[in-house]
Amino acid sequence: MLQFILRRLSQMLISLLVITFIVFSLSHLTGSPINSLLPDDATPQQIASLTEHLGLDRPYYVQYLTFLQNAAVGDFGESTKWKGSTAAEVVLERLPATLKLGGLAVLISVVTAIPMGVMSAVWRGSIFDRMAGVIALLGQSLPAFWLGIVLMWIFAVTLGWFPTSGYGGLSYMILPAVAMAWFQVAALTRLTRSAMLEVLDSEFVKLARIKGVNERSVIWKHAFRNAAIVPVTYFGVLAGSLLTGSVVVETVFAWPGTGLLAIDAIRGRDFPVVQTVVLFFAVFYLLANFLVDVLYAVIDPRIRFS
Amino acid sequence: MVTGLVAIAAFSAVPAQAQTITMVMSPPAVETNRYWNTPGDFALGPAMQGLVGHDPVSGSYDNSGLAESWTHNDNFTEWTFKLKPAAMFHFGWGAVTAADVIHSLALHTGPDTTLNGISQLEGAVAVALNDHTVKFTLPAPQVDFLFVHGGRGSLVIYSKAQFDADGLEGYDAMPAGSANLQYVERNVGQGLTFEKVTDHWSGEDAQFDRLELNFVSEPATTLAKLLAKEVDIVILPRELQGDALNAGFEAIPSTNASNQTTMLFNGAFLLPGYEGLDETLPWLDIRIREAINRSIDREAMIDVLYDGRAEILPVFGMDPRHEGYVPELADRFEAEYGYDLEKVAALLADAGYPDSFSNPVIPILSSTLAGNPEFPAMAELMQVFLDEAGFQTEIVEMDWASLGGLRTAREAKMFHPMRNLPVKPSAVGIRNYYSAAGAPRNNYEDEVIEGLMTKYMASIDPAERDELAGGIFTRVFEQYAVAPLASISAEVIVNPETVGAWVFPGATSVGVSHFGSIVPAQ
Amino acid sequence: MGFFVMSQKLKFMGHLPVLPIVVLMIVLIVPALFADLIAPHDPYKAYLRNRLEPPLFFGGTTEFILGTDRLGRDILSRIMHGARYALVISLVGIVLGAIVGTALGLIAGYMRGRIEALIMRIVDITFALPSILLALALASISGPSFQLVIFVVIFVIWGFFARQVRAETLILRERDFVARARVAGASDFRILHKYILPNLVNTIVVLATLQIGVVIVLEATLSFLGIGIPRPVPAWGLLVADGRQLIVSSWWISFFPGMAILLTVLSVNMLGDSLRDWLDPKLKQV
Repeated sequence: MLQFILRRLSQMLISLLVITFIVFSLSHLTGSPINSLLPDDATPQQIASLTEHLGLDRPYYVQYLTFLQNAAVGDFGESTKWKGSTAAEVVLERLPATLKLGGLAVLISVVTAIPMGVMSAVWRGSIFDRMAGVIALLGQSLPAFWLGIVLMWIFAVTLGWFPTSGYGGLSYMILPAVAMAWFQVAALTRLTRSAMLEVLDSEFVKLARIKGVNERSVIWKHAFRNAAIVPVTYFGVLAGSLLTGSVVVETVFAWPGTGLLAIDAIRGRDFPVVQTVVLFFAVFYLLANFLVDVLYAVIDPRIRFS
Repeated sequence: MVTGLVAIAAFSAVPAQAQTITMVMSPPAVETNRYWNTPGDFALGPAMQGLVGHDPVSGSYDNSGLAESWTHNDNFTEWTFKLKPAAMFHFGWGAVTAADVIHSLALHTGPDTTLNGISQLEGAVAVALNDHTVKFTLPAPQVDFLFVHGGRGSLVIYSKAQFDADGLEGYDAMPAGSANLQYVERNVGQGLTFEKVTDHWSGEDAQFDRLELNFVSEPATTLAKLLAKEVDIVILPRELQGDALNAGFEAIPSTNASNQTTMLFNGAFLLPGYEGLDETLPWLDIRIREAINRSIDREAMIDVLYDGRAEILPVFGMDPRHEGYVPELADRFEAEYGYDLEKVAALLADAGYPDSFSNPVIPILSSTLAGNPEFPAMAELMQVFLDEAGFQTEIVEMDWASLGGLRTAREAKMFHPMRNLPVKPSAVGIRNYYSAAGAPRNNYEDEVIEGLMTKYMASIDPAERDELAGGIFTRVFEQYAVAPLASISAEVIVNPETVGAWVFPGATSVGVSHFGSIVPAQ
Repeated sequence: MGFFVMSQKLKFMGHLPVLPIVVLMIVLIVPALFADLIAPHDPYKAYLRNRLEPPLFFGGTTEFILGTDRLGRDILSRIMHGARYALVISLVGIVLGAIVGTALGLIAGYMRGRIEALIMRIVDITFALPSILLALALASISGPSFQLVIFVVIFVIWGFFARQVRAETLILRERDFVARARVAGASDFRILHKYILPNLVNTIVVLATLQIGVVIVLEATLSFLGIGIPRPVPAWGLLVADGRQLIVSSWWISFFPGMAILLTVLSVNMLGDSLRDWLDPKLKQV
């Protein structure tokens, strides 16, 4: 088991290293931040002095190595767009907002999708199943930004049930979280449903029924327990889509999280912040997958030796 | 008597409800309290001041800033400002003195400054003649020196005492300004809060208690906030203003035009001997430039882009408030630039377009620039006009920063939008858009303009300057050096239930100013 | 609800459900092929005097059945011409993504060992990198373009194919007929090509169908951020993005293209589901 964990961990680190290189290269390839920081009538001296100030005149590999060195001790550079703060500070300040929103979105999707998926399978072919199917299909067909705007107009502007945008407590989070969760609900419902269908068909469940176990127990204690592995492993993918989903939703709802930060930073050519944001989320995603892998291995010993 | 006194005491002891005005604007390019690290697009306007102010109605320079008066020598190389003795910094940092001005100048012209227009301050040496008098000595005459202190706001006065005590971190935490609103806090990514200064030294207190600025990048979200009455004032792109107005909200325009928009024929570097000229650019031919100008139905354009609330602009950079204004050019505009597709066809035939051109395609830039959300729509509209007139076009999408790089390298060979915001003094504008002198803005250049420009930069006689600038604008007009579009005022949309009035002249880079004079609704 | 019942019945008859195919033809395929002939207007023509006209039955005229946008362009014609791009992007993107993913998945599953580990590592990295940010970064370098959209699409979906194909290859390679082929001296390539790949076709087809929705929504999201197919091409995502600002008063600009996306993806997904049920009911979703 320990060997398995160590192996996975080292693989994770390699992935991370490659990602840092890709991210670093990309953000530097997008062009010098000079042009977006300096005004249009900047003099050549201004350009030169800012270039030097930001260390952009040193050779590429030197910049990368410096970046790695510093990153290892937690120094991700100074933000160029949010002057006076370090990149790490800027990201950490915005991270809780996205985690809160993401957390609520995940909660919504789990609470909605799992029961819906399970009951769709149990009542296969019924109206409920078909409705759930329609909802799932809808979820995968609507772009999140469009949904966000429509939700805002219906529930915030027209009905006034929620505030339109901005940062705040639960009422500010519901609409953006729903917009984020929508797609996940669709995928998770279908996954859960198909996993449940398989298990419900199995000998194991048939046996439980013959033994006289009551139906609710059959569904939840026997079938679901076994089917759950499928949606659980999906959480890794869910974590990854957190940033992608948050970028668009945070823009629409002016939610000051890392998604919005990433867009602003890319547009403003703030390299340090861009790198830091992407790294944080890559780490988050890889960690989530790692944990899921370990969980999987704990549950199913065969996996450890694959 | 006692009852009376008690009654009076009770009455005056009733606390006023804290009145907060909330305003939504798009996020500034750089969020920091160190003004010199921003491009100057948004001063900590509510809280900080420069030496020179603007009359809210006429927009002309006045002494509503920190200077009560100023003089200059005959050749405009020495400017002396007398500071108001009563001026005080916030949070107890003391009186505003010449030392603070000198300190601020050093900060703003330091090595990490990124301010727009800083070239006007470069090389300036400031000396304190006494506690309240500062003399600037400039390396070259600058007739428009006040511009950098006022609307452009390049020199904002910080407290030296605060810096000596707390350094830059002091500014990051709680910058002391001198206006009648003071800084409370900044929520990175979300906005800024200011509060009223009680018994302000100017004698004019703000009429509300707090001002909250919210940064929202999505116009649809901004509109939603306004319609839901969550905010009092918003800055909205023109195409959404109609929806707000229909819902009962009101528009407050700046008292003067604050912005000019145009399309530039970038790459038309017609100075003889310039080696980087790309001779395949179709708009090097004056007939093509004229044809393009005549393909634009400017009235329709104003309807589409500005909801009908803009004026036709005869020459980009020319404004009645500044030097070189030639009224005849406005009269000639319809005849020489008017929408006329037959004339366009004749011009194209005459020029042999497209067959005589090795590269007949006109690349039109589509890009978003903070504060000008209409640029992509402008590009599409230009394509519509030009296509109908018989041109071959393509839309090029590029973010503004990348464009900046190309422009600096003189490689931006495109028909692209540009704005003049705030409307600059003529000398500054001409140098930016029509002359090879100064930092490259890349547009049309030719030797006639250059010749006039050399004399203009050296002249200090107002009549002569006026004539030279007028000559340059006339040349620009007659050579079809740009495709001018519109002159626009800055507008905010307010909720009339909470905001009564706001008079601002549109003299700053973000359009709005004079925050302290927002009048809440009664 | 009736159409569900009808489609179930048809399925039981062993045919593919008719309704999704019909919808797909109307919304996607016919316009994509014949837009030039059947669209009522030129999608690029701006009728500046008819800007922001509502659709028929909401105050509009038969001239512009679905209304016009802020430059006076006919929404219906734009949707019809945009179908071409939806079709091309989905087909090209998915075919290429499927090829890349299948090839690498096959190699990974069959060769095992270091190569497999490497390929799966790359898949992980692909999933860990936020695609939207990657797209933004690339767009800043090279400017938005059709190729960029295709690249992002391939980047996002190849991993799904690779993972699924690898998992199945792992199982298939242990099967008897493969062992027999090996004993008979068949080369690896031949085994992959003749024995394993044909058994994967079902999976790949189903997966591809299910990814179409993802791809179309991805394009719409890229357009929203301003880095989709460059203007003035009326790609559906761009149409929805364009109308988002005017959604309160001129809702039709975003609504109808959004419906086109919705109907297409719905139909495709229903088709994919039926395909899967028909070809391989035991197939697990990725």
